[in-house]
Amino acid sequence: MIAREYDVVVIGGGMSGFMASHTLSRKGYKTALISQGDPVCSLSTGCIDVLSRSKDPLSGIRELPDDHPYRLVGEKAVEEALQFFSQIMDKTAIPYTGDPRENREILTPVGTTKTTCLVPRTMAHAQGDAGDYIHVVSFKGLKDFYPSYITSRIANSSFSLFDAKVTSTLSIATRFEEKPFLDEFISWIQDLDTPFGTIALPAVLGMRKPMAVLEELSSKTGRVIFEIPTLPPSIPGMRLFRALKSTLQQAGGHVYWGKPVSSVERRGSRIEAVTLATSGRPSRVYGRAFILASGSFVSGGLFASRTSVQETVFDLPVFVPGPRTDWFNHDFFTPGHAIEKAGILIGPSFRPRESDLENLFVCGSIIAHSEIMKNHCGHGLAIATGCAAANACDKELS
Amino acid sequence: MIKTDVVIIGGGATGCGIARDLTLRGIHHYLVEKGDFANGATGACHGLLHSGARYVTNDPEAAHECITENIILRKIAKKCVEVTGGLFVRLPGDSRRFRDTFLKSCEDVGIPTEVLSPSRALDLVENLNPAMEEAIRVPDCSIDPFRLCMLNAFTSRHRGGGVLIHHKVIEIVKEKGRCIGVKAQDRFSSQVKEIRAKIIINATGAWGDQIAHLSGSEAPMTLSKGSLIISNHRLTNMVINRLRPPSDGDIIVPNEAVCLAGTTSVPVTDPDAIEVDPREVDIVATQAEQLIPKFGTTRLIRAYTGVRPLLKAPSGDSRNISRGFQIIDHNNGMFSILGGKLSTYRLMAEKMVDAIVGHFGVKVSCTTADVPLEGQEELSGYPLSKRLKEMDNIVCECELVTRDDVEGVINSIGTKHIGDIQHRTRLGMGPCQGGFCTYRALGIMQEIGRVSPEESMHILREFLQRRFRGIRPALWGDQLREEQLVESIYLGILNMEQHQ
Ligand SMILES: Cc1cc2nc3c(=O)[nH]c(=O)nc-3n(C[C@H](O)[C@H](O)[C@H](O)COP(=O)(O)OP(=O)(O)OC[C@H]3O[C@@H](n4cnc5c(N)ncnc54)[C@H](O)[C@@H]3O)c2cc1C
Ligand SMILES: Cc1cc2nc3c(=O)[nH]c(=O)nc-3n(C[C@H](O)[C@H](O)[C@H](O)COP(=O)(O)OP(=O)(O)OC[C@H]3O[C@@H](n4cnc5c(N)ncnc54)[C@H](O)[C@@H]3O)c2cc1C
Repeated sequence: MIAREYDVVVIGGGMSGFMASHTLSRKGYKTALISQGDPVCSLSTGCIDVLSRSKDPLSGIRELPDDHPYRLVGEKAVEEALQFFSQIMDKTAIPYTGDPRENREILTPVGTTKTTCLVPRTMAHAQGDAGDYIHVVSFKGLKDFYPSYITSRIANSSFSLFDAKVTSTLSIATRFEEKPFLDEFISWIQDLDTPFGTIALPAVLGMRKPMAVLEELSSKTGRVIFEIPTLPPSIPGMRLFRALKSTLQQAGGHVYWGKPVSSVERRGSRIEAVTLATSGRPSRVYGRAFILASGSFVSGGLFASRTSVQETVFDLPVFVPGPRTDWFNHDFFTPGHAIEKAGILIGPSFRPRESDLENLFVCGSIIAHSEIMKNHCGHGLAIATGCAAANACDKELS
Repeated sequence: MIKTDVVIIGGGATGCGIARDLTLRGIHHYLVEKGDFANGATGACHGLLHSGARYVTNDPEAAHECITENIILRKIAKKCVEVTGGLFVRLPGDSRRFRDTFLKSCEDVGIPTEVLSPSRALDLVENLNPAMEEAIRVPDCSIDPFRLCMLNAFTSRHRGGGVLIHHKVIEIVKEKGRCIGVKAQDRFSSQVKEIRAKIIINATGAWGDQIAHLSGSEAPMTLSKGSLIISNHRLTNMVINRLRPPSDGDIIVPNEAVCLAGTTSVPVTDPDAIEVDPREVDIVATQAEQLIPKFGTTRLIRAYTGVRPLLKAPSGDSRNISRGFQIIDHNNGMFSILGGKLSTYRLMAEKMVDAIVGHFGVKVSCTTADVPLEGQEELSGYPLSKRLKEMDNIVCECELVTRDDVEGVINSIGTKHIGDIQHRTRLGMGPCQGGFCTYRALGIMQEIGRVSPEESMHILREFLQRRFRGIRPALWGDQLREEQLVESIYLGILNMEQHQ
């Protein structure tokens, strides 16, 4: 058995786990992040939803129920966490834009608008209701993006299709990394006979340096250009995830990827170590404190059986909103199915409330009462609680 | 106005079977169905081509009809039937006396049986409960109800009969107390067509009484809903029954890549207001798990429910042809054919047409038992190797349906209905239940100009709502995970809840 020791071990490589690790490694702690697989982040639009109730998302926090995790973090700390996120991203190839105190509307692939807050700079102009003329450029045969959804809903708009010879977002994004392809695309777009206005593209402008591609496109065409998020697989989501991971590694955080935590070693009310299920020898990772950021159902942090819900790493008690018959509304479109409330109940120091474990903290979508779909607060909540749990952990350790 | 000899209302197995029978006897007709083929009990059934063994102890007559039809359908409908064979499994505690009666009754009716030891049964189906006492092999088969309807209607369509799907009968036209036609409304354009005929056949199953009322008569029935669950894997290659008197959740039928387990039996009044209760799912899953323990851990992709029209005690003017089904002459130009089973649809059609040929002076007797269904050659299937080559072109990853498949259906039947594409290509039938591919199929329909973008948003909303109804009762485990993902896409990324 290989053993390694850290100050803090974070379990779960999603938005909350990364933000907790970034916070702690900035404070000088030796951290390890363990993740079984890619997070929900890589399926997301890459946009940071904070809270959709009001123009200023942060002021909406006051109106949330008392048991919502945002209430525990507090308005000010949420704002600071979002600023910290933007600072991290500013140093990467995918800088963000936006003000934590102001929601914006961006265009979706079906021509509706979606309320969000911070967005990758490639989507800076993706306001759905700006009234400008929009020409949508898409790709022949692209499976997950149909521009007519958009042009039918927006009065001043039109579209044309470029033949990229490939039909998935992923393969088109890969082609945008090739210089000859980009050049061919640029000259095609220059020849486009469309009225002056902005140009919108599905989010496929390369995986690694989308801003560089976008800037080249804008300067050569003299147009304002922006990306529209697509359905998963989502390039902006993958870019965000990759940036979070590589910046953490650059900051000295250790990352164990692709291995789930398979067992836990406890002594009394403390966790001593977790064991990773590796194909060869199992390795044991020791820590003074642990942060659980294993996500909700989609990532497997929570698992529902026919009659109950389990937390899969520490088997913590889970808050379950009633019997299974009550978990889902009858109407698909009514926001807020009760099951969204399921999760771990936490106390003021982000420790699980119904457990005696002293050195365990919890963050992200696994926290009870988050109601992420209902509140449209996915990444925002993960960022805020990730930083808050890390700060609580810091207080405990120092 | 359209003129014909016979109007058949209902495009389930019974209605489609009648259309084919009439075609082969040279009687002109129109079939009118409010949805797609197999829109009612036919599409919601278990897909078991009964050997009759299930009924042998309490209804030998129905059992005899089943084995006779079972042999016929295996011959004439090869592309719809998978000759799986079936097992009746006796678990510890199940009555031995029932087993003896069962074997004796099968012999009396003429259903071949073979008693197998647990180890031989496990050789055949390795996922069976190893604690079983024994198993009895019978000639049960799996049948594809949708294909069956399509092929029966195919004969009619290609030989001059009229087939109108997505047309709902909203009125029976009468003259001097006699039914002389129907008015049918197009689901998409709302346009109403009038079709005049000498005879009207009501083959609307659970909706039979509603249609009878439109003509001023009645067709009393008791309705009973039955619910089924679909597992993500084909856990058995044979039909599995529990060797005990018929009860809830005692049958598992393999179908393509999945298995169907069911059913329940709950009285209902309105065939349009039915829903699976999560408790029914628990009952069926618990029972199925006893036969095949893996049912407890495998992912359930959906639950669904159908309505059986059960006969009320026969009234004065009805002719009780069999205990299984009934033909009612309303003495006003309309006949109702009700009850029965999918397995006996051909026999039902034969008896129905026998009852009306006299009106047309036709002496031709029924040949449907001998002539194989036409159009089967065209259902040659699509080799997997070819599909894999077109991976880049695939719109439904679960069932490997390509863009060309989807375009093919849209162009050939000119549909705007996503269900029509699903039935004909299996698009959206896999684990994600259309969560990803429906958006794509609608995008393709837009691109080739079948629907406007506004329409497709509307269709998408309707589809999501319907889909949710099917999966809601069985949401736990991996399926709950998948559901949260799909919700995040439509309500999160696309924000469809706020744009109604
Ligand atoms: C399709 C989709 C689109 C979305 N779009 C948006 C959007 O546009 N904007 C937005 O703000 N929000 C969006 N969200 C919501 C948002 O992405 C999530 O709420 C948020 O990212 C959750 O982060 P998290 O850190 O709590 O968990 P997750 O991202 O779920 O990460 C948990 C991690 O823990 C790992 N893990 C689980 N169990 C173990 C174990 N035993 N051992 C080791 N590791 C384990 C998992 O592999 C995973 O990497 C979207 C969600 C989905 C599903
Ligand atoms: C849960 C369940 C499981 C079953 N399993 C099996 C099995 O495994 N094997 C077996 O042999 N049998 C099985 N059955 C029985 C079998 O499904 C039915 O007996 C058979 O399918 C009935 O076919 P049908 O055509 O008479 O009726 P249906 O299939 O119900 O057809 C009636 C049609 O009429 C249409 N209609 C109604 N109103 C109108 C209108 N106003 N205008 C136009 N059209 C209209 C409906 O849309 C429908 O398509 C099962 C039944 C149920 C409920």
